[in-house]
Amino acid sequence: MKRKSFLLFVAPSVVSMLLLIAMPLAGVVYLALHQSYVKTELVELTTEVPLFGGLKRQVTRTVPQPVLDENGRGVKVWKFVGADNIVQAAEVEGLDEILSGAREVTSLRGFISELHREITNVDFWSALEFTLLYTFGTTPFVLLIGLGLALGVDRASERLRGTMVFVSILPMIVTPVVSSLAVYWLFLDGAVIASLIEALGFGRFYFLADQLTIRTVIVAYGIWWAAPFAFIILYAGLQTVPRDPLEAAMIDGASAWQRLRYVVIPHLMPLLAVITVIHVMDAYRVFEPILVFGASVFANSVQYLTYYTLSYEDNANKAAAYAILTVIGVVILLIPVLVHTYRDQATRR
Amino acid sequence: MAVWFAVATFPFLWMFLISFRKAVDAFATPPKLFAPFTFDNFHHVWVEDAFWHFAINTTIVTAATMAVSLTIGCLAGYALARYEGKLGFWLLIAALVFRAMPHVVLLTAYRPAFFELGIWSRYETLIVVLVAINQPFTIWMLRAFFMGIPRDMDEAAMVDGCSRWGAFRRVVVPVMWPGIVTAGLFSFLLAYNDFIISSQLMNGDMTTMTAALGNYMGQKQSVTRLMHGVAGAVSVTIPIIILVYAFQKHIVSGLTAGAVKG
Repeated sequence: MKRKSFLLFVAPSVVSMLLLIAMPLAGVVYLALHQSYVKTELVELTTEVPLFGGLKRQVTRTVPQPVLDENGRGVKVWKFVGADNIVQAAEVEGLDEILSGAREVTSLRGFISELHREITNVDFWSALEFTLLYTFGTTPFVLLIGLGLALGVDRASERLRGTMVFVSILPMIVTPVVSSLAVYWLFLDGAVIASLIEALGFGRFYFLADQLTIRTVIVAYGIWWAAPFAFIILYAGLQTVPRDPLEAAMIDGASAWQRLRYVVIPHLMPLLAVITVIHVMDAYRVFEPILVFGASVFANSVQYLTYYTLSYEDNANKAAAYAILTVIGVVILLIPVLVHTYRDQATRR
Repeated sequence: MAVWFAVATFPFLWMFLISFRKAVDAFATPPKLFAPFTFDNFHHVWVEDAFWHFAINTTIVTAATMAVSLTIGCLAGYALARYEGKLGFWLLIAALVFRAMPHVVLLTAYRPAFFELGIWSRYETLIVVLVAINQPFTIWMLRAFFMGIPRDMDEAAMVDGCSRWGAFRRVVVPVMWPGIVTAGLFSFLLAYNDFIISSQLMNGDMTTMTAALGNYMGQKQSVTRLMHGVAGAVSVTIPIIILVYAFQKHIVSGLTAGAVKG
């Protein structure tokens, strides 16, 4: 294909991405580097204050008033503040104090747990902590469950497969807000799960009142939500496993486990890598369960933190600073993938 | 396996079950398996809370997003599958990075910009935004599908005197329908399932169905209100279940094309 027609064909798509993804990213950088406020000026305001008997007295006061433009809206001032917003959002100063602060060191373990406690008191770092915990805590389980399901469905009879696939992918396709709600309703105090556990004799659980349980529930939700995705891809991948090596292995007396370990899994390796990459990208954006569970005190995520700052605190500059930190995180996570793709492409030429 | 099927469906089955109950029965402690049946929740949500209105908004937004996103996505996907220069590779890498962007990052910039421009809370705005967010995934997937179509086909057409555009429109697109349906299904899911952007960009009468669920959330809600939320959530789920059941085969092939070959 000629370069000119290539450019013509991709133009609409590229323009849409430039306008609504690349430009907003630049905008976020701009927002993060500035501080905005409504300009005020001191105005001498003269009012008549009624005294007794119809007498009035003029009172002049100097009060700050927002400067209005011709439409009657406040004039906004943009002040360049450099990295101040970002430094504030990451609370670098606080971190400094924590790290250099004098404390009694009794044991290395105690020291680390103390340090951890203080750092996670800071909004951003605690959000980052849970986001990473969620991302890397779910990944191995997603891969394992996905592989197990794919092997199971692959062995099932032809007629059952369709239904099995459909049922298995439900958690993935249903609107995340809805599926989070559906799970949340099960874990309410005294609802299905808590009652079940109590009936089995394990005592009373209040899932939503404790950091450990609420985090476990959200991570479990993450696994439940993402495993179908791994399943579908691996299931499709299993259809392409070559027959010959499998039969050769069988003739050589390899057990089912050995066939899986030495023939099937190496064949699926590239897919496992793809799933990991996509899952990490999606898990890093975890938002809905945090919102629905109302869990931001115990388990925050970087995306929820930005959302909260933006819509409840209405502070675009601070939100932009969080957004920048979030993007930096994404890029760091993606670097290995990008390097790999680039090398791959280079060797193909 | 059986455990997984139970775990995968139970939250939804339970949600369906309690949506037909009175609040007292739905969240009773301990939970009840059998309880009187009622349509009150759905009636309230659809008639009094004007959910039908949000449903119309959702239909307009998702349908338009799908149409635009597929049109421009097909053009780009086809070009990426046929072009051999370096530029194509860099475009795909950029799309991969864009795909990883948390949506709230973009939202942070949209808010002040759209207020300034006065295009807040309009169908066009949300549609254009969703189309753009959809693009990275769509072009990766459609590219994989187009690569499955032999080059000889369009080259033969061009030898016969078709222009590049003519070959694309008359020869390639007609055999691409399965791929287009799959990509369409995923655009649908993305636009329909979006909460974070829809709930922030649209307000009042313009809210979409998914975003409207936000009205029922929060821990301070009364139990009756919570029941309306359950009915709303069920209403949002039903169209997806029907669509996915109908197009199930395409989901498998689509994810495979998007990920396996990409």
